[in-house]
Amino acid sequence: MSDDEEQYNPKSHKKLLQAISNLGNVQHIRKSTRDERQQQQDEFQLVKRNNNNAEHAPRAVGVNDLVQILRSSKHIATGKKLKNVHSSKKVLEKPLEKPAADRIKRKIGYEGVKKKLGRWDAIVSKQRAAETQIFPIPSDTIYINTAAHVKNLKGRVKSDLAKELEASDQKLKELRKAQIGDTTDEKELAKKERELLEKKLTRDELFARRKELAYLKMRESQKSAKARLQNKIKSKKYHKLQKRQKILEQIKEFEVLQKTNPEAALEKLNALEKSRVIERASLRHKNTGTWAKNLQVRAKYDKDVRKDLAEQLAVSRQLTEKKIESESEDEQEMKVETDAPVPTDPFNPWTKGKAAQKTAESQADEEDPNWRKYWTERNANEKLLAEHQADLKAVKEEKEQEKKTSKAPKKKPIKKKKANVTVENGWVVEEVDSPAKAETIDDIFEQHDEDVRQKLSKKLEKLKKQAEILKQPKMKAKPTKKKRDELKNLKDLAFKKTKQRIEIDEPLNQEEEPSQPSLDVVNKLTTTEETAAEPSADSAIDPNKVTTITLKQRMRDLDAINDALAEDDEADYDESDAAAERQLTISQAFEDDDIIADFNKDKTKDSEIKNAEIQLAMPGWGSWAGAGISQEVLNRRNKRLLLKLAAPEKRRDENKDNLYINETTNKQARAHMVSSIPFPFKSLADYEASIRAPIGRNFVPETAFRMMTRPAVITRKGQVIEPMSESELVKPDRRLRHVVDRRIQRLPLHQKAKIA
Amino acid sequence: MKVKMISRNPDNYVRETKLQQHKIPRNYDPALHPLEGAREYVRALNATKLDRVFAKPFVCNLSGHRDGVSCFGKHPKHLSTLATGAYDGEVRIWDLANRSSIRSFVAHDGFVRGIAYSRNGQRFFTVGDDKTIKVWNAQAPELGEEEEPVNTILSRHILQGISHNRKDNSFATCGEVCAIWDEQHNDPIKTLKWGVDTLHTISFNPVETNILACCASDRSIILYDQREAQPLRKVVLTMKSNKLAWNPMEAFNFTVANEDCNLYTFDTRKLQTPLKVHFDHVSAVTDVDYAPTGKEFVSSSYDKTVRIYHAHQSHSRDIYHTKRMQHVVCVAWSLDNRYIFSGSDEMNIRMWKANASEKLGVVRPRERANFNYQEALKEKYAAHPQIKRIARHRQVPRHVLNAQRKMRSVKDKELLKEANVRKHSKKGTVPFVSEKKKHVIRQDV
Repeated sequence: MSDDEEQYNPKSHKKLLQAISNLGNVQHIRKSTRDERQQQQDEFQLVKRNNNNAEHAPRAVGVNDLVQILRSSKHIATGKKLKNVHSSKKVLEKPLEKPAADRIKRKIGYEGVKKKLGRWDAIVSKQRAAETQIFPIPSDTIYINTAAHVKNLKGRVKSDLAKELEASDQKLKELRKAQIGDTTDEKELAKKERELLEKKLTRDELFARRKELAYLKMRESQKSAKARLQNKIKSKKYHKLQKRQKILEQIKEFEVLQKTNPEAALEKLNALEKSRVIERASLRHKNTGTWAKNLQVRAKYDKDVRKDLAEQLAVSRQLTEKKIESESEDEQEMKVETDAPVPTDPFNPWTKGKAAQKTAESQADEEDPNWRKYWTERNANEKLLAEHQADLKAVKEEKEQEKKTSKAPKKKPIKKKKANVTVENGWVVEEVDSPAKAETIDDIFEQHDEDVRQKLSKKLEKLKKQAEILKQPKMKAKPTKKKRDELKNLKDLAFKKTKQRIEIDEPLNQEEEPSQPSLDVVNKLTTTEETAAEPSADSAIDPNKVTTITLKQRMRDLDAINDALAEDDEADYDESDAAAERQLTISQAFEDDDIIADFNKDKTKDSEIKNAEIQLAMPGWGSWAGAGISQEVLNRRNKRLLLKLAAPEKRRDENKDNLYINETTNKQARAHMVSSIPFPFKSLADYEASIRAPIGRNFVPETAFRMMTRPAVITRKGQVIEPMSESELVKPDRRLRHVVDRRIQRLPLHQKAKIA
Repeated sequence: MKVKMISRNPDNYVRETKLQQHKIPRNYDPALHPLEGAREYVRALNATKLDRVFAKPFVCNLSGHRDGVSCFGKHPKHLSTLATGAYDGEVRIWDLANRSSIRSFVAHDGFVRGIAYSRNGQRFFTVGDDKTIKVWNAQAPELGEEEEPVNTILSRHILQGISHNRKDNSFATCGEVCAIWDEQHNDPIKTLKWGVDTLHTISFNPVETNILACCASDRSIILYDQREAQPLRKVVLTMKSNKLAWNPMEAFNFTVANEDCNLYTFDTRKLQTPLKVHFDHVSAVTDVDYAPTGKEFVSSSYDKTVRIYHAHQSHSRDIYHTKRMQHVVCVAWSLDNRYIFSGSDEMNIRMWKANASEKLGVVRPRERANFNYQEALKEKYAAHPQIKRIARHRQVPRHVLNAQRKMRSVKDKELLKEANVRKHSKKGTVPFVSEKKKHVIRQDV
């Protein structure tokens, strides 16, 4: 052993010596070898470069080195080229600073993610709109027709019968093949067979079909010819009858609709209303046509002509008659009327007052007050129309003048103080000028002229301004970057919910005692009251009331004046007479509405009890002995059995003319009433419709019951609900499993809407 | 002798069976049912009252932890399994059906910060204060064998949370940095930083699985993409967000539980304003979890209550509390949409029904139909004042009421002050800022 130890190995000795000499220079931590993928190097794993070995370390090879080598070899040209390239090459730009570069990267990454997330918009919106959602979301199953790949068992024993059948089948197939052609595909065979059958039939059928077609064509041409002829008929009576028939049909339809589908009926009613409005707006049946004008010449002498004209007016009245009065419609119409420019519209019944006033003196009394009215109206209309046309002409002339003498100083229009116009409850009430200031027709003309002039000048100014704006060089459009709405797609995709469910997004009532209404509740109450009060104020427009009030004022004014003047003046008297007449016309205009009467009727209806005395005796009662009882006895008995009711209670609003206190409202029920439309509903009608339809078993059929009581979310017990999977993005519409769902799907669209 | 016999009409006690049910001929003519509206209203009222009578959401209490419960881990496949971690480093696995703990072991020194099950549910990962990630078998060890982690990964940074990708074998941890790991490797695949000292929550998007989000201690929420080298975006709120939960059915929506008593639902594509601010809590919200249907979420708070919200409504639909439940730290919604778990400071885990008045156990078809009808009626008449009052009435602990009152007065005061300032300053200088916009300070690119 000792020999072995003493053995000297020069190689290893040298190694050892070298190692010892290197001891001080070398770092002992080895450069790590990577066994895991990692991005960051640990600071401990970095090895310090050995300084002593610096000159031995290989230097990075540069382009110059390459060029040197190439120069020495035979590739001098390539070397030169390389050098040229090196010198001519541009230095790359300094890369962006790290924060800036990172920012760009982040932006790009975020955009990508946004895009990726945007894919889900459609599905999410679909899910949100779904009436019922079933969780876990049914996964898409792939159905494979395994039967198609079944191979017959080879070693099957076949019975004789089976063999026979097979043989015959084969024969049949061959026969068919021979007849139709050589195809192996069963489907194609069937198709061809069908075609063959059809071919055979066509010869017989062709004639019949052609005949049928010819017949149809003939019918069509007949019908079109008939229609053409009918259109050509000039008889007005015929057309009138036709029209009346149509209207009758429509009315019938409407009546049916009223019973079956009140909403559709309402729509129809609105359409009717619209036609009425159009009729009102148009000049038809207003005796303004040439026919009427021609007749009017003769009207003074011919009674029939007058009748005709009156008939025409009656038609107009009938067409413009209100079908059903509802507050909202009234309102609308009133608005329309108030919007209409007062002096320019000669056919507005509200402005006729003036005309009537003017013409009152000139018009002599005629046999019929209605006729008188008609004629006053007519004349007034004519005059106003003439005025209007004159105005238009004047305007035209003026325009021309202005064009000619644009520099000439404009004559300043003398601004007369216009009649005080006050608006009361949406009604324009114009104060009538004092009687002393009786307007002549010329004044009216002038005023009208001025109005038109003013309007024109205003318009001109406006136009000038616009032209200036256009002339100006386009101002530097501010770089107002419109903020893109990231969720636009989602919003656009949002379906209209077929079944609206009430969403109550309020804090829970956490008070222990609900007796004290919290502040917000009180607020709400007040707000609802306000909102409730507003429309009532609007709907309470009582045109007659308004007019009477103003009239009363006027009358009172007149009275005061009269008192002051101590004695009556004929003109004054006429004036008041005219005012009264005006009131008459207004009340005539509201003849159809008769609001006061309706109001009073409502009031009395509530208070009146139909039978103040109720006879309790029944025929035959008490007359057991048969006929022959004396009338006296009977009368006495009847008197005894007569139940006299107590006198009806006095109404609280008994002596108050314009007040109606509803005494039938139930205070207890009020606590159960909804005061405002709940959130997703936008109109009262929608909400009412949702409440109106019953859903219980007792009121609707079983299937409808099941349909309407399906919950919004259906989950199954004991099943894990997985989050949405990507396969949803490409999934076709799944087959509905529930019977009810399938039935709903099969329904036509309009019926679906009804269910919703 | 007189024989007394009890005789009964079988119609009175024999229940109608499926076979005995006769079709009742009914006339559905509405003219014959003049009171249908009134009858349905009364039914709705009764249904609402019964709903409140049967509203007993508390199911059971799971006790066993010896310190406050810090986190939950839901098993992705088994509904009856729940893993919980505690402040003392203990992890317990519960069998919810039997209401018992089937496994318990000390996993970490200090807090258990997060538990996440792997994709198939065969393993789970825990992170703790000791800077380690431990991988455990979901199967309990054989009798007599010791609990040992399958793998222990030492992290270079502290760890605050963990979340597992739903579709592949990667998971992410947060702490000083956000790190993406692969199950097969001991080093993170990627670390993502954005100059924040602590990220305390991390959550993978369950639908678009490459996206994840963190909440940071600088009051920000940071979005990441697993594949990108850089974070994506940062939103800074007025206060710190404690937890974040993604909507499992709407890939782009997530909700954060904030320190300022509110929750905020964001759309990832539009971070400058939250879609919805969810109010009602009176103290910091500690945790939030979505229902698997994505329609609702549950939140727990430092005010000792658990609240349930509709995802698109700003006020809670229900509140759960018990006398002994202290600060609720973590909350989870079971994957079958039926139960809610809450873990609180006082070492208990509580199980609640997600629908307070739902009947547990077998529900026969006719019963189901009736429940559906009641539900539909309640919905139909939800806006009627009496029904609304009954349905939304809740008894809450006094401290919550007091806190609410206080918060309201503070808010009123602020509003008044703002109004006064507006009144006495130049027009337009004090703009109206919506509640939604108030809470987002800025968005960093």
